[in-house]
Amino acid sequence: MPSVAEVKKRHESRLMKMRGVVGVGIGQKDGKDTIRIYVEKDHPKIRAALPQTLEEVPVEVVVAGTFKAL
Amino acid sequence: MGKPEDAKLVGECQLLGLEREGIESSTNPNVVGVGIGRRNVRGFSTQEVALKVYVKQKIHPLLVKDGLTIPDEVEGVPTDVEEAGEFSIWRPIPPIYQRKVRPAMGGLSIGHFAITAGTLACLVRDAGETFILSNNHVLANENRGAEGDPILQPGRFDGGKTDRDVIGRLDTFIAVDPDEVNLVDSALAKPFDERDVTPDILGIGRLRGTKEAGLDEKVMKSGRTTRVTNGTVVDASATLRVGYQTGSYLFADQLIIKGERGAFSAGGDSGSTIVSYDGKAVGLLFAGSPFFTIANKMPNVEKALDVKVV
Repeated sequence: MPSVAEVKKRHESRLMKMRGVVGVGIGQKDGKDTIRIYVEKDHPKIRAALPQTLEEVPVEVVVAGTFKAL
Repeated sequence: MGKPEDAKLVGECQLLGLEREGIESSTNPNVVGVGIGRRNVRGFSTQEVALKVYVKQKIHPLLVKDGLTIPDEVEGVPTDVEEAGEFSIWRPIPPIYQRKVRPAMGGLSIGHFAITAGTLACLVRDAGETFILSNNHVLANENRGAEGDPILQPGRFDGGKTDRDVIGRLDTFIAVDPDEVNLVDSALAKPFDERDVTPDILGIGRLRGTKEAGLDEKVMKSGRTTRVTNGTVVDASATLRVGYQTGSYLFADQLIIKGERGAFSAGGDSGSTIVSYDGKAVGLLFAGSPFFTIANKMPNVEKALDVKVV
């Protein structure tokens, strides 16, 4: 099975182009690695377009707001 | 009992020196105010309304100079003397993070002369030479700065002036590129005098080297705006889009940090060193959203600038 980092790398540029997506990362949930998709706001249209798993790695959607230089 | 309002009119004239027809005017140097309020007895508020006399300092009646004793009652209204100190206009002293400090250290306000203010990260060394580390957007004004530009401590927003607060000059910056994936937002300034800087971080202490941060690692930072805060690394390999004045840029291999109690950072904290609980530099703070703070990984910063954290 490919590592989470490899899976993330393969999909991140496509994910980053999706509307409402501000970031892609790696997290953990219940002891398992996940692909995190950071979204600008919690909106059903944004959520509906996102995958639930990527190559069998579960996806976690995290509402992050927009990132700005401080 | 007389009316408190009448007593106040008389009290204002006799104690604060106001002029009113038919009332003798005098001042009491210890009195800073007169009003109407509840009478306090042995530290507790009572229902009784009294003529409040606010004094700089409450002194024992036997020690009060002749003629300056405050009467027990004015126009039949009991008086209540309360210590208020001296009133002044609200003019707080800015926190040390936003003031001029020499030797300057991590956590303090700093910035290119054309920006508002950011944070001094720490000192770094390259072949025996010492430099100040912070972000490109703090020391080099988002690629728009030129080598040799004056760097102010404190930053311009905190009153830094180009004729007296220049700590050094812009030396090197890693350009942020709108068409590429960026790893760091970092730059170096060269202090005029090495005695003007010290490797300490305000409120944290000395660093013990650099390392990679792990997922769930506890970290802290010291910054110009929110000072010392604690948080947790919730993502150690994030790819993100970050908005700047000059546009939006993609960053890869970033740390995402969540504050322990409320926000981990705010505007002006850019440039703060992210420090692990074992005292190692793990990141360089540069961005954030209402929920998260974003930092470059310190090993990537060291590699990009070819320096070592002091």
